[in-house]
Amino acid sequence: MKILRWASRALLRAPLRAALLVGVLGVSIGLALIMITVDGAFDERLDEIQSEVGTTVTIQPAGSFGGGFILRGGFGPGAGGGPNAPNAGDAADGADADAGLATLTDEAVEAIASIEHVTAYTRTITAQYTGDELVAGTIERPGNSPFAGNLPEGGRPILILVTGTDNPKELSSLGVENAEITSGRTFEIDEGEANVAVVGEGLAEANGLVVGDTFSVNEAEVEVVGIYTSGSQFGDNAMFLPLDTARTLFEREGEVDAISVRVDTAANVSSTADAIRETLGEDVADVTTQEAAFDAISAPLADAADSSRVGMIAALIASAAIILFSVAIVARQRIREIGILKALGASNWHVVGQMTLETAFVAIIAAVIGALATFPLAQTVANGLVSDPTTEVGGFGGPGGGGGGGASWLSRLVAAKEATCSVRLMSPSRPKSLATRWPSRLALR
Amino acid sequence: MSNTAVETMAGAAVLEDVVKHFKSGSDTVRAVDGVSVAIPRGKLVALKGPSGCGKSTLLNLLGALDRPDSGRIIVDGADISGLSGAVEVAYRRDKVGFVFQMFNLMPYLSAIENVMLPMELRGEPNAQGRRALAESLLSRVKLAPDRHRRRPTRLSGGEQQRVAIARALANDPALILAGEPTANLDSTTGEQIVGLLRSLASDDRTVLIATHDNSIARQADLVITMRDGNLVGRDEG
Repeated sequence: MKILRWASRALLRAPLRAALLVGVLGVSIGLALIMITVDGAFDERLDEIQSEVGTTVTIQPAGSFGGGFILRGGFGPGAGGGPNAPNAGDAADGADADAGLATLTDEAVEAIASIEHVTAYTRTITAQYTGDELVAGTIERPGNSPFAGNLPEGGRPILILVTGTDNPKELSSLGVENAEITSGRTFEIDEGEANVAVVGEGLAEANGLVVGDTFSVNEAEVEVVGIYTSGSQFGDNAMFLPLDTARTLFEREGEVDAISVRVDTAANVSSTADAIRETLGEDVADVTTQEAAFDAISAPLADAADSSRVGMIAALIASAAIILFSVAIVARQRIREIGILKALGASNWHVVGQMTLETAFVAIIAAVIGALATFPLAQTVANGLVSDPTTEVGGFGGPGGGGGGGASWLSRLVAAKEATCSVRLMSPSRPKSLATRWPSRLALR
Repeated sequence: MSNTAVETMAGAAVLEDVVKHFKSGSDTVRAVDGVSVAIPRGKLVALKGPSGCGKSTLLNLLGALDRPDSGRIIVDGADISGLSGAVEVAYRRDKVGFVFQMFNLMPYLSAIENVMLPMELRGEPNAQGRRALAESLLSRVKLAPDRHRRRPTRLSGGEQQRVAIARALANDPALILAGEPTANLDSTTGEQIVGLLRSLASDDRTVLIATHDNSIARQADLVITMRDGNLVGRDEG
């Protein structure tokens, strides 16, 4: 305790020296923090891309497009979706080949969920609504446009695509990539069997629907809880229903047209896809991964991350060197002081303890100041190098639930501070060696 | 000198055939080369000789800032030639006071805090007592009260040396070792400092001054002359 008091007093009594030392160390630690933060941002972004793209496995009935939508008559007369649709039969053995249309089942989903490394899954079914309770939107003939094609006068009606999903947070289907809610909300997980719908803008406009209105689908009353836009006329002429609601309304109990599976790590994607193929059979399901897409997206970022890693290591080494040299210079300047203290009766323990504590104080203060001063800059640099590092991932149902958003800024700061401390811990060795090896007689001449 | 002689001179500083050599490149510097001498208790002793004759080395040996290669050094009845660790620290703290040519005050401490420093190192718990004693010592060395709270940079050379002397007295040592204490002072101030050191020599305290200043030697009770690491003269004042 006495040495602690001595060390703090020595610092306070030489404020200029302490401030300059803090300044030098703060700058070096700050630079190291910037590099650590940038490196962390690269890693975080790569992890996010991996979690969003690289770890997803898509399973569809073998030979199907849009989860068998086409084979069930999509885009044409007699398309599937009504109570009398031809594929509304039993599903067994993971596929319904009875009607000549491959369809997955909940049994298949359960089998997939039990496969190692599968952390979450999303199920969807798609159907075309062919009833007369709703009016389909139309593709208008665009005046003198050279792309008018052979559209008839009054435009061509667009089929009404209905998608049932158990992942209401990511409304995606044929022609719809992550629908954007423009009014109302999406349905909730606990509304799995409720008669609620999120309707595309085009379909809502054609039928004069707003949030809170109800409409009929296959003789059932469904409430509009949200309206979305997808950016395409086809996508906006569709609707999303909770999976079980869609199954009931379109008499497809237990059926699944597409399963999107999330795997725990990108490294396990390939083996998990193989396991799924083995479980379902390649003649039953098409299993596709996004490894190639991930590689294409992440390769430049990975290269930049490697460069950043080298820069971070260089910055840490430079910081350590600056700290060591600074402490060595200060300790050498204080050789006479050390000699005087020893001549007056201070023990080696006292001298080493005092110098070490002074160094520790300075390093801690410098680390805090360096972190506070450079963290906003580090964030700016990191955000500039790696765009949108805070993309939220989530909404998946099934085992494991949704993914997280990656490391927070606080955890990154803590990691940076830990690295800084490891650098700082090297510094007390200098005052110790100087205090014990330099005889007092040299200091006092 | 025999062990018997040493024992009969309890309280004095006695050196027996003390040797201290240093390596300087390929050469050996014989700083102290077989010195035997008895320093009487309660006297002002001047250690004279040209630069490099071994005066400072002898002072360092007596202050346990260095160890002899061979020989014995007895101070206040105790052999200090082989001291180490806590005993060595305690010896320097309690038995010896140093006065340096360059004053060697802590630049970031005030005059009174410099004087309190050895007391704090000794573990004197009473802060009020430390301060009162420091004030008393500074008054004894005739440092004006308005200088007590000044830092060394705001004191003259003579004032700094007075503070250094007060600091050397802080733990009431038996032996005060002064290395060229007037070398950085003008002649008038130097005489005042020598007078001050002279007044410190008493029944209980010995003052040993390394110097080549004849005016100091004239005031000493005993003058010991060194040359090339050896004693070449011993004159009673």
